[in-house]
Amino acid sequence: MRDKRTSVKDALFEPPGPKTQKIIWAVTALSLAALAALIVVVVRRFYETGQLDSKYWSIFTKWTTWKFLGKGLLGTLEAAVVAGIVTFAVGFILMVLRISGSIIASAVSTALIEFTRGVPTLLFIYFFFLVVPKFGVKLPAFWKICLPVSISACGVVAEVLRSGVNAVPKGQKEAAQSLGMMPHSVFLKVVFPQAFRFVVPALISELVIVVKDTTFAYVVNFPDLMQNAKVLISNYDALLSVYLVVAVIYIVINWLLNRASVAAAHRTGK
Amino acid sequence: MPEKTIGTGSNDIPVIQLKHVDKHFGSLHVLKDISLSVKKGEVVVIIGPSGSGKSTLCRTINRLETIDSGEILIEGVKMPQEGKELARLRAQIGMVFQSFNLFAHKTIIDNVILGPMDVLHKSRKEAKEEAMQLLKRVGVDSQAEKVPAQLSGGQQQRVAIARSLAMHPKAILFDEPTSALDPEMIGEVLDVMTELAREGMTMLVVTHEMNFARRVASRVIFMDGGSIIEENTPDEFFSHPKSQRAQDFLNSIKDH
Repeated sequence: MRDKRTSVKDALFEPPGPKTQKIIWAVTALSLAALAALIVVVVRRFYETGQLDSKYWSIFTKWTTWKFLGKGLLGTLEAAVVAGIVTFAVGFILMVLRISGSIIASAVSTALIEFTRGVPTLLFIYFFFLVVPKFGVKLPAFWKICLPVSISACGVVAEVLRSGVNAVPKGQKEAAQSLGMMPHSVFLKVVFPQAFRFVVPALISELVIVVKDTTFAYVVNFPDLMQNAKVLISNYDALLSVYLVVAVIYIVINWLLNRASVAAAHRTGK
Repeated sequence: MPEKTIGTGSNDIPVIQLKHVDKHFGSLHVLKDISLSVKKGEVVVIIGPSGSGKSTLCRTINRLETIDSGEILIEGVKMPQEGKELARLRAQIGMVFQSFNLFAHKTIIDNVILGPMDVLHKSRKEAKEEAMQLLKRVGVDSQAEKVPAQLSGGQQQRVAIARSLAMHPKAILFDEPTSALDPEMIGEVLDVMTELAREGMTMLVVTHEMNFARRVASRVIFMDGGSIIEENTPDEFFSHPKSQRAQDFLNSIKDH
């Protein structure tokens, strides 16, 4: 609820003087020229290699194409939402164990956090895709993508939440204790709600990674946006056009997530 | 402060009693064999130079600081070390902090009703009605729906007092309640505290406000170097301090 907002820009740079202003203009103009040149080169290459032919783009005039991509988008969103919830739940438990007084619980949790943060998502996916079935456990494709993506992200979420808890001033806990509140109440009603508000932006960034990790669904044949895009590509031989459209869809999803995080941060008065 | 005798019988048992309390921070001996008691309706003011252990002493009473040895009794019951029993005893002793410590994510009214709802299991409606009366009493009822950051320091501290009153405590500990306030706001907080003392609240106050001690205290305790050096009525203490250290301390603050 501060009236004055200090942006990173204000904090790092002082306002430019006349000479600096000229340099900024020059660099800006140069960058724009370079960018324009790059776009011209790319578009020309596409044109020369025939990637801009209508046969590659006409598929997007068909309703069935969009329906198929829409189905994939739904798969992506389902996987992302479920993976996001599992990630948060497991991350929360790991964080609580880590900050609990118990040395053993804390050590186990720390080991799990370091392990899940250090191993690439794809390795977990291969584990669920190739190793787990060998033990006779038959998981649906949906869980074969959701579980490894969640496992991969939960360690980071646990650490993000812990940094939030550490950022809550000690006096908040003491005030709650002095009212006679029990430790779990102190944590759930006073400390954690504030910690959560501190880390909403970082959590959303991690959620964006979860969304992007669901593109590994093609490995386990789960029909998400990426998997369906691949099907379209092989059917129509339209590599560039489909990838461009799908990229835009992913950008829109993650942009919306970012907007949501900014809105959430504003609403919680930061 | 005139003697207050509200109720009978339990008057003999001190509300707060410390027996031979010792505490170390590493090699630093912060509390040395502290014994003191606060009877019902008494206002005991602890003064002394910084680092004398006043705040630590105050915080040991509801076990925000642990002690190494000795005993702390609340109405004759030994302070438990953990769990439900500790929480139950803490609920009976209010605390007002130097830095207010209002719950930053809650509105003023929600700050006041959290304890009654969570600890005393009152309904929201009941808790809210009483909270509004308390906020009115400390003069911040018009701010009930705001969040702490929107209030001045003096207002926040008055809310903190209302928050601890909402628990109907047997005594309230004040840990330098005006030290973080701008000078023009100190008065409004001291007024509320003076009013409370008049109404018979049992209080233990760590403060640098000598005028408050002079006017309101039933007893003044002077601490230095982790020990209680002197204990007397405010009149006696301020006019005829017995110990050299108390004389030096009073002289040093007189110069300002």
